[in-house]
Amino acid sequence: MIRKGPAGGSFRPLSEESIDRIHQTAMRVIEEVGFEINSEAALDLFKRAGAWVNQEKHLVRLPQPRVMELIEMAPSEIKLCGQDEKHDLFLGGQRVYAGTGGTALYIYHPDTEQRQLATLDDLKRIAKLVDQLDNIHLFMLPTYPSELPVEQVDVNRFFAGLDNTTKHVMGGVYTPDGVKQVIQMAETVAGSSEKLRQHPLISMIICSISPLKMDRQHGDLMVPIAQAGIPLVCPAEPLCGATSPVTLAGNLVIQTVDSLMGVLLTQIVNPGTPVIFGSVATITDFRDLKYLAGPVEMGLINAAGAQMAQFYKLPFYATGGMTDSKVLDAQCGYESAFTSLLCALAGANFIHDAAGLMEFALTACYEKYVIDNEILGMMMRAVEGITVNDDTLAFDLIKQVGPGGNFVTAKHTRRFMRSEHYQPTLSDRNWRDEWEARGSKTTWERAAEKVKEIIVHHKYRLPADIRQQVLSEIAGIVD
Amino acid sequence: MTEDLLSLIKENVIQGRIAQDDEGFDEGLVGQPGASELTEKALTEGVNLEDIINKGLTEGMNIVGQKFETGEYYIPDMLASAETVGAAMEILEPHLAQSGIKSKGKILVATVKGDLHDIGKNIVSILLRGAGYTVKDLGNDIAPQTIVEAVREERPQFLGMSALLTSTMIHMNNTIEALTESGLRDKVKIIIGGAAVSEEFAQSIGANGYGADGFQAVKIMDALRNSMKG
Repeated sequence: MIRKGPAGGSFRPLSEESIDRIHQTAMRVIEEVGFEINSEAALDLFKRAGAWVNQEKHLVRLPQPRVMELIEMAPSEIKLCGQDEKHDLFLGGQRVYAGTGGTALYIYHPDTEQRQLATLDDLKRIAKLVDQLDNIHLFMLPTYPSELPVEQVDVNRFFAGLDNTTKHVMGGVYTPDGVKQVIQMAETVAGSSEKLRQHPLISMIICSISPLKMDRQHGDLMVPIAQAGIPLVCPAEPLCGATSPVTLAGNLVIQTVDSLMGVLLTQIVNPGTPVIFGSVATITDFRDLKYLAGPVEMGLINAAGAQMAQFYKLPFYATGGMTDSKVLDAQCGYESAFTSLLCALAGANFIHDAAGLMEFALTACYEKYVIDNEILGMMMRAVEGITVNDDTLAFDLIKQVGPGGNFVTAKHTRRFMRSEHYQPTLSDRNWRDEWEARGSKTTWERAAEKVKEIIVHHKYRLPADIRQQVLSEIAGIVD
Repeated sequence: MTEDLLSLIKENVIQGRIAQDDEGFDEGLVGQPGASELTEKALTEGVNLEDIINKGLTEGMNIVGQKFETGEYYIPDMLASAETVGAAMEILEPHLAQSGIKSKGKILVATVKGDLHDIGKNIVSILLRGAGYTVKDLGNDIAPQTIVEAVREERPQFLGMSALLTSTMIHMNNTIEALTESGLRDKVKIIIGGAAVSEEFAQSIGANGYGADGFQAVKIMDALRNSMKG
């Protein structure tokens, strides 16, 4: 049984009053402090939309009513489609999905305990792997192909995704030309420009630079994506004590303002265009100010971010499921599970980075995708919660079985045992002697076997005619 | 037609569906005839009894065993299938004697004196019925002398005893001694099981076999049965 989009919301780290105070403070920041927009195109658009603009300082401020007006133009529900419709996702409300994330530079190999620069081939293999891991609902392009020049990166990353998995492909983008090529490619795969808008097979991410700043490159990329009507995620990545106040509430204010900045810009460019409010917020390590990927506070602020998104009625992109560990050890498991579970229970619509990433998100690991697939399966079961009705309370059955009886042979047991209880795909539940007889394998060793099996047997490719068309029309694809 | 009927019986054993209102493993089967209805039909149509048992019930149960081994099936699935075979065998039983076909053998089962734990024994009974044995269940908290009397009357080929508690397992030994004193010990093969006992314990009290779980119990019974033939 695959769980996709169950409703979260049972975990609410913010009270209604706290949500309102964060909102009011964010609005005050937008109105009184403003944010710096270093893209001429974006600055001009804000100006025409009625913002107060200080041309010299590239500073934009907006009054609260105008901000709320623009937020209301953004759709509260967004469809992200796969090439196979069984992979379509409906982000919004408190529905929960999870997917991969990026963008890692290295691949870690647990057998040799070495890491290497990731290549385009790694990206293709991870796409094949994720295609077959049922609890990973969306494929976000996870690695950066180290061997390619930057102008070939966008088109090759998205092609690797579309050509190896039928799940939705989301990814960060690097050049304006790359964005154009990727949209053209997706239109060909979807069948037409219109079909791509109706069934968006791809989406893009532009992450802002906290605090309160949009750099030129990001603004210049965001405008054409919004014009094209391609779903765009505009998350912010404030780090407590470095690029936001150290307090979690202060971090939430900056995250809210910075992500809303993207939401506002997209709605000015193209009212109603699909945009996803998001958070990559976390804390920093005060010994060297590095980004941390596994702290429990990251789970808390991303869960709270989900509440803010629900308040603004915007779909939400959360970050969770990573670790700072360098190896596949206990820290790797507990950090990944803690952070993703907190987001999920809060009803975060799409938890990205939820599979495969370790070491401050610098490194991806094949085996960790399989391990995280198990964590996510357990997590989705937790989100689903406890169903209480006549069938599950089972009075009639209890009466029938009676004192001293057993429920092993009851039809009721058989009817519900696979849906009420999560069915593990990786965890070991054997007696010690069976486990020893099967080679005394650790979690990652069992995961490694699955990786091999999936990659060897996976056969998906784009349909031949479409693939040929893409390769002939779009330059720079390394096949 | 006969082949279709036999494969339907086999399929319903795999699904664990006794009657038409049963759900089975796959969805959408409610309303279609189950193993009982199909077995009745096979009898009416004069299908060979051995074919029903071998090509329908036993082949179905073999596939269930494989599904259990690979982890696709769980104990409740296996038990549903075994119960299905048991139900079909009950329908066939009156006809078997007439046609001269023998069951795989009769086994008396009991949880021994002082022990009220019978879930394990009940599961073993279902699985043994599913494997084609005739099972007579004496119940739980059964004294050695009661078991001796039952062996004398029922003349089973096998006796199965279960104990969960270390404080009650001694009654297995007492029962075997009582059978020896009554001159009945060599009339039955004795297998024991339950959380308290072990292979070593079985040997020390002179039992013929020990089953760690219900599936092993069936295997050991089959092995003992083959050795008796030889």
